[in-house]
Amino acid sequence: MEAVANPRITCAYLNQYVGKNVIIVGKVMQLRGDEALIDADGSITAHLNREAHLSAGNGVQLIGKVNPDLSIKVLSSMDLGTGVDYDLANTVVEVSQQHRSLFAYD
Amino acid sequence: MTSYGGYQRTGYGAQGGEDGGGYMVGSQQASQGQGEKKYANESLRPITIKQLVDCKEAYPGAELAVDGLPTTQVTLVGQVRAINPQAVNVTYRIDDGTGMIDVKKWIDADKADATPRFALDTYVRVYGRLTTYNGRKHVGAHYIRAIEDFNEVNYHLLEATYVHLSLTRAAGGGEHQQQGQLGAADGGDSMFVDDGYGAGGGGADSQAIRVRLEPCSRNANTIYRYLATSAGDAQHLAQVAAGTGMSARDIMAATEELLGQGLIYTTENDETWAILDL
Repeated sequence: MEAVANPRITCAYLNQYVGKNVIIVGKVMQLRGDEALIDADGSITAHLNREAHLSAGNGVQLIGKVNPDLSIKVLSSMDLGTGVDYDLANTVVEVSQQHRSLFAYD
Repeated sequence: MTSYGGYQRTGYGAQGGEDGGGYMVGSQQASQGQGEKKYANESLRPITIKQLVDCKEAYPGAELAVDGLPTTQVTLVGQVRAINPQAVNVTYRIDDGTGMIDVKKWIDADKADATPRFALDTYVRVYGRLTTYNGRKHVGAHYIRAIEDFNEVNYHLLEATYVHLSLTRAAGGGEHQQQGQLGAADGGDSMFVDDGYGAGGGGADSQAIRVRLEPCSRNANTIYRYLATSAGDAQHLAQVAAGTGMSARDIMAATEELLGQGLIYTTENDETWAILDL
């Protein structure tokens, strides 16, 4: 049992989590070599690792560290296919910020 | 009262297996309440793993309680981070982004081959019983299945929040009161605007502020009210979000309005605001 949280965030919350590990759920907009542009209530640049297999247009869950330039250094990625409800994912982020006792260690 | 409660319980002795352990705090309550509580304990509760990490026993030997409510049957979702197969069970380390917990699935000796194994990083839904063993909490799984539709993960997190809120608010918990205060502030706002015309205003806001707030949206008014009443000079986006219950996007739009009206200004960065004194 461990008290380690990877908070779920969207683009708007990036600068509060610089240097921390986060979870981002979004849509792959563009793939350029080892870089990807993810839309999670705003565009986020993700630096992918070698194991990443993303496809443009699909949903993706990224776990990674927020760089000082607000890009993401991806530690693990997971393709979510096409049936992802992004509004739902963004709502979960907002709810998890409002009810921090359930989601975050302050 | 105590002895009466004790007598009642022996009356129901057939189901008293778990009651065996001597003096119970609950025995001072009416025996009817006791029955209800037992029943509530066994209802299935959706939770985040952080709630399990945080939950404590009311007193040593008591059942683990989440939001003050004894909780045994839980359902959770998370990704499999480690798998540890043993002779009689498989221990999965499950991570849902809010914490990690061990989930033990006991192997049925008769159909050992039928027990499915889950690959690392797959999202699973777990139904199980929250237990402590040697001071370590884990979930004894009745059933684990892989999640096919990713939206179920988000659904679960919202459901866990919903249940938490309906339990804590119904009981008049802390969050309810906080929300109540906010609501009161909100109501106070609209009342103030109303009698602002009638009674010539008796509030703290000057005429200049009222004139500028008027064309702003409801959201902008809520945020202005929040900034005006909160402690400290400047408030960050996260504080405003927590205080008003609004989304980051709505807050950005509303603060844009207030900035345009010259009612607030940004301080350390673009997401921290303070009231501009007129």
